[in-house]
Amino acid sequence: MNVSLSARNIVKRYGGVVALSDGNLDVQSGEVLALIGANGSGKSTLSKVINGVVVLDGGQLLLNDKPVQFSSPQAAKEMGISIVFQELSLIPLMTIADNIWLTREPTKGLGLVDRKIIEKKTLELLSLFEGTYETVLSPDTVVADLPPDEKQIVEILKAISFDPEVIILDEATASLDSRQVQRLFELVETWKKAGKAIIFVSHRMEEIFRIADKYTVLRNGFTVGSGEIKDVTENDLVKLMIDKESVLDFTRDTYDEETMNQKPVCLEVNDLKTEVLAGVSFKVREGELLGLGGLQGQGQRELLLALFGDIPFKGEVRFLDESVHFRHPRQAMKKGLALVPGDRNREGLLYIRSILENLLLPSWRKYGLPLKMKKSISDANQVAASLNLKMAGLQEPVSSLSGGNAQKVVIGKWLMRSPQLLLLDDPTKGVDVGTKGEFYTLLTKLCAEGKTILFYSSDDEELLGLCDRVLVLHDGKIRSELIGDDLNKESLVSASLGVTNGGES
Amino acid sequence: MKKFRISPPVAAIILAVVLFLLSGLLPNGYGSDVDVAISQATNIVRLAVFLGVIAAGQTLVIISGYEGIDLSAGSVVTLTAILTYVIVSGENAMVIPALLVAIAVGALVGFINGLGITFLKISPLVMTLGMSGVVTGAIIVINHGNVSGKIAPIMTRVIARPVAPNIPIPGAVVIWLLFGLFMWALLERTTFGKNLFAIGTNRVTAKLSGVNVTWTNIGAYALAGALTGFGGFLVVGNTGVVFIALGQPFLFPAIAAVAVGGTLLSGGKGSYWGTMAGAIVLTLITSLLTTMQMGESVRRMVLGATLLALISLYGRQKSFRQ
Repeated sequence: MNVSLSARNIVKRYGGVVALSDGNLDVQSGEVLALIGANGSGKSTLSKVINGVVVLDGGQLLLNDKPVQFSSPQAAKEMGISIVFQELSLIPLMTIADNIWLTREPTKGLGLVDRKIIEKKTLELLSLFEGTYETVLSPDTVVADLPPDEKQIVEILKAISFDPEVIILDEATASLDSRQVQRLFELVETWKKAGKAIIFVSHRMEEIFRIADKYTVLRNGFTVGSGEIKDVTENDLVKLMIDKESVLDFTRDTYDEETMNQKPVCLEVNDLKTEVLAGVSFKVREGELLGLGGLQGQGQRELLLALFGDIPFKGEVRFLDESVHFRHPRQAMKKGLALVPGDRNREGLLYIRSILENLLLPSWRKYGLPLKMKKSISDANQVAASLNLKMAGLQEPVSSLSGGNAQKVVIGKWLMRSPQLLLLDDPTKGVDVGTKGEFYTLLTKLCAEGKTILFYSSDDEELLGLCDRVLVLHDGKIRSELIGDDLNKESLVSASLGVTNGGES
Repeated sequence: MKKFRISPPVAAIILAVVLFLLSGLLPNGYGSDVDVAISQATNIVRLAVFLGVIAAGQTLVIISGYEGIDLSAGSVVTLTAILTYVIVSGENAMVIPALLVAIAVGALVGFINGLGITFLKISPLVMTLGMSGVVTGAIIVINHGNVSGKIAPIMTRVIARPVAPNIPIPGAVVIWLLFGLFMWALLERTTFGKNLFAIGTNRVTAKLSGVNVTWTNIGAYALAGALTGFGGFLVVGNTGVVFIALGQPFLFPAIAAVAVGGTLLSGGKGSYWGTMAGAIVLTLITSLLTTMQMGESVRRMVLGATLLALISLYGRQKSFRQ
């Protein structure tokens, strides 16, 4: 049985944002194609288009050289295309068997579900990963009770349970241990022999070189290169992923390590551990703008939340020469910390409340009883003006603001308290270019005033343009620390992907 | 262009006026007699006071969001009314102690509601409904079904009678206006009020902005209980008698009054002025049904259906929470 799948000039827009401008790939029976790209390059969008999760805005999908259109994931499944998601699509409170056979339950007469066949087929599937489970897996185990790696395995089994022709593995190895990855790769080999086509989306170079036959690299929504894996090296692929010309046009002061080292330490973290972080240690000095880099979801968010007292952690934190262990954001806030969270609408704003109330939320207590409204309004106006906040008035709801202005409100509510240490979680996400420029100026200004900033960004350009020093996180650990000349696009991307090219690891 | 919008409290007042004018057209309405119309209007506002005060606590817990509601309010009214009745026993001197007890007992019940909702993570609906059963049971246990007591003359004088012989404004209405001012200050001019709106809108944002979500939420329920206790005190001051089913009929209209007053049932937005207007609308509807000389059972059915219609109508406002 031969199968081939091609994507030609795929375009996908989300509102005004172009996620994919020209996505192309080809994969055939008996091949593993690695789909590679940096954060936001369009990998996930392209796999979603192929799988029918999102509808394409332009271009063509060819299955066995015939144009096809999938209106839903169900339609793609019927044509033999299956995807293993990185964010799990399992229903936690249902059993393994029920999850795998959901909507396709084998039935006997009268439409009753045939439990025996389900159990037998599920056992067959589970035996594929025999020996790699920590727990005893039976078809009746509830998914919520499984550790993350075994959930991922169930997800894989679910995707292959209807014997698809094309299998897309979207970061499927991220939560598996080495034995499980080994077993998965053995299975991939048998699928190849059985004539299936496999698309392997991954950030792990080592795995790509182990398993893939061909590669396709995406950058900013364009397919920028494809070919045989045996013809390239890791560094060739990294270079393809990097857009040389687009480094931010923003000049930072030259970094003087000696001057910086004389300044007092603002924050010192020793062996900080959470569910995600596996022991993180670093120091930040006063007036420093320290960047946090790496792929999304490597523990940057958890680090910032733990420092701010929102999630529990183990380890030692010293802030301004005082040992602290915040258990509620309120305590952190009182000591002079501030957090701009990653999800503006869900974590940073009171969407239906006024701009005034959003700006003053952390500070009301300072305005006495009854609240001194005139004072609060003039203070809020002052901060709004300093941020160049474009609004119809302080009484208007935050929902009336654009993304960039809404983010100014989130930053503004902390500036009203003049914090000593700002923790920023991807603050320029979904913010227009003009406002981004204003943020950069603001951050540099704050540092010059002696404030300290810990800055995570999913945009490598920003880290390069703004920070003197960047810690790259990978799998909950600090993978490398990039300073001065070592801080360039190539080293940043390599470190993010876990590629070690001679430097410290 | 700015869209023309009527704020919900104003809309409720307009609704009340329209309903009142319509009620004059009924066969046994006030017709063209202005004096009768005025005295009837005054009486309706006077009756709305009790519903309005009881709905104050409801306003707080509904603003606190996340399905906040207080279904124990009806039984708390009964309990605090009986306590007032028993403690006062006709003595003017015992009025203040009775008032304090009513408020304290209400606050205690609300505090327990708050603890169950926040620490045991019981949904407000289930927690307060269960508490309603507990309080009703407690009333029966304490009194063994018969109560002896009496309200004091000063209560009747202040609550039920006009302020002065030549000013036909009932004392209760004056109390209500002062109470409204207190509620406005509580919601708009205290840190607690601001935090209450914040936790009703988005608890993640609130926590990450340093708001103590748990204790603000418990505070809302405790305060709601205290206000309902005050409501019980006022109710018995008006009726002068107590019985086991005294408070329950206030419960559902109070929730409806909050909704009609423009407070979002999903939380995070609302005002007590709106609830006051809503209480007047609800009282009018009840009196309208009485004026139409419906039988007690038919009236109950119509009232129930009207309340459901109102709540569903107002409950449809979209929550902007994402």
